[in-house]
Amino acid sequence: MTELLRILQLAGNDFSYFFRTKWLMAVLLSLNLSDMLVVALVFQRLMDFNYFQFFVPAVVVMGLFVAALDTGRRIWLAIREGVIHYYLSLPISTKGVVIAYLLAGGLAALVYSSSLLLIALLVLPAQAVWNTFILMPFLFILAMGLAGIAATLAALASTHAEFFFAYQQIVQIVLLTLSTVFYPIHVVEQYLPPFLVNIVSHNPLSLATEAMREYTFVGTPVQPLVLLMIFLTSMPFAIVGGLAYLWALRAIQVKGKL
Amino acid sequence: MYAVETQNLTKRYGKTHALKGLDFTVNPKEIMVLLGPNGSGKTTLLLILATILKPTSGSAVVMGLNVTKQPTRIRQILGISFQEARGFWRHKPAEILRFHAAICGVPKSERDAKIEEIMKDLELWEARKKLFMHLSGGQTKRLEVSKLLLQRPRFAIFDEPSSQVDLRGKRKIWGEILKLRDQGSTILVATNEVREAEFLADRVTVLDQGQSVVCDTVRNLKDKIAGGDVVELQLEPGPNSIEELRERLSTIEGTVNLVTAGENQYRAHVSMAEAWVPKMTSLCYEKRARLLSVRVTEPSLDDVFLHFTGKVLENPANA
Repeated sequence: MTELLRILQLAGNDFSYFFRTKWLMAVLLSLNLSDMLVVALVFQRLMDFNYFQFFVPAVVVMGLFVAALDTGRRIWLAIREGVIHYYLSLPISTKGVVIAYLLAGGLAALVYSSSLLLIALLVLPAQAVWNTFILMPFLFILAMGLAGIAATLAALASTHAEFFFAYQQIVQIVLLTLSTVFYPIHVVEQYLPPFLVNIVSHNPLSLATEAMREYTFVGTPVQPLVLLMIFLTSMPFAIVGGLAYLWALRAIQVKGKL
Repeated sequence: MYAVETQNLTKRYGKTHALKGLDFTVNPKEIMVLLGPNGSGKTTLLLILATILKPTSGSAVVMGLNVTKQPTRIRQILGISFQEARGFWRHKPAEILRFHAAICGVPKSERDAKIEEIMKDLELWEARKKLFMHLSGGQTKRLEVSKLLLQRPRFAIFDEPSSQVDLRGKRKIWGEILKLRDQGSTILVATNEVREAEFLADRVTVLDQGQSVVCDTVRNLKDKIAGGDVVELQLEPGPNSIEELRERLSTIEGTVNLVTAGENQYRAHVSMAEAWVPKMTSLCYEKRARLLSVRVTEPSLDDVFLHFTGKVLENPANA
């Protein structure tokens, strides 16, 4: 059996674990659906533009984001419960374990956000659904990058639950606030200095959200440069996250724990 | 060639030495039992051999493969049953076993039948619909052992395989471990349970404070305790003086100590009772003394441990 097959088996196992956590599914879905069907509609009345059309595609990317971040919780649990020792005894390399987790995180996030996309397509007319298929691989890369961030947080938090969840909240607030998920870029330009505007416009969440709005729902032709930007801004997160998780596993092998 | 060989193996956690220059070997297709109290370094040694931990210094070789240089290849031939069961909380036992079987390369066509057979054997079938997080301690332990029985690795490591398991379950697990050995696996078992060690061991290594104190077969270890066997005698004196007979008994080769335990009753602490008793009966015959009863008690592995380390094993269940 090849290493690749074992990586896929491990990834498949972790992927299924995400969807088995029913309370998490319930929490995520209720939050995302209330964002989509309540918040967007309420804000629609307060804004001078079609906020519903603006925000619903963003909720799909937000779903991708929070689902990918859950990879960190699963890694943290595996470290706390000692399952990580089990993984390290399996016929798979330590790097393979890391890759499997990132793949699983990316895939789980993509599948979860796809379910939100289906709901979004029911409530908001989409001009070019097929563009979503072009976006998918890049959303997957983004999700792997976000899973990488989560892996880093899990490695940093060690076995302290409160630290992990605090780090996760901070990252969530920073990445979402400094993005165009909630407000358009011209609003950001009014209130933030140019260097932060630059960060907001290059935040992979902004890029993915804008791509989802423009290509899937408005129907603008897909710009390869934007896809390349999503790839280039997401990959560093995936690489850093992978290295952080690898470092954590090596630390466990040397110290017995984190 | 040894199946497992460590040389000067050292593992430190900060300032704590878990293993101190351990030299240790396991022969192919034998069951080596590591006996030692908590904190003696048993689990650390197992985790190093399973490539989960890296040694601080020294070398460890499993089936000719170096644990630091070839960990992935070692993982392809070994399986480990952890002291505390490692499972996925939201999976059912059969799902955990199916994943383990798949990743360890058990052919797909055989998986379900084997899983059912092992789960029934180890009395897990009733719990098949429960999630791992709802299993009892004994059930999770049996599930942990089941992984190896399913995988049947060339090198199997069991860390306290029957702790938390009832007596019937223990017997079943021990029987399966012996079967695994008979089918060609090399097995390393860590325990602080004397009965488990006596039942399973081809050889025993006594570990204390990260060092190997002694290693041999159970029989030889017991024989190494001078005066470890206790022979209790009841005699009916013949025409000769009982004092003379007592004097002669105490000079039989292997006698360490002989005390009077009552009227015409004696307790002899001897080395190797199997050699001592025939000499004693010959002497009684010669002196025309009638032997009314003989009771031989051999030392336990607790006594062996006490003898070699000066300590008792910590598990109160063994007391």
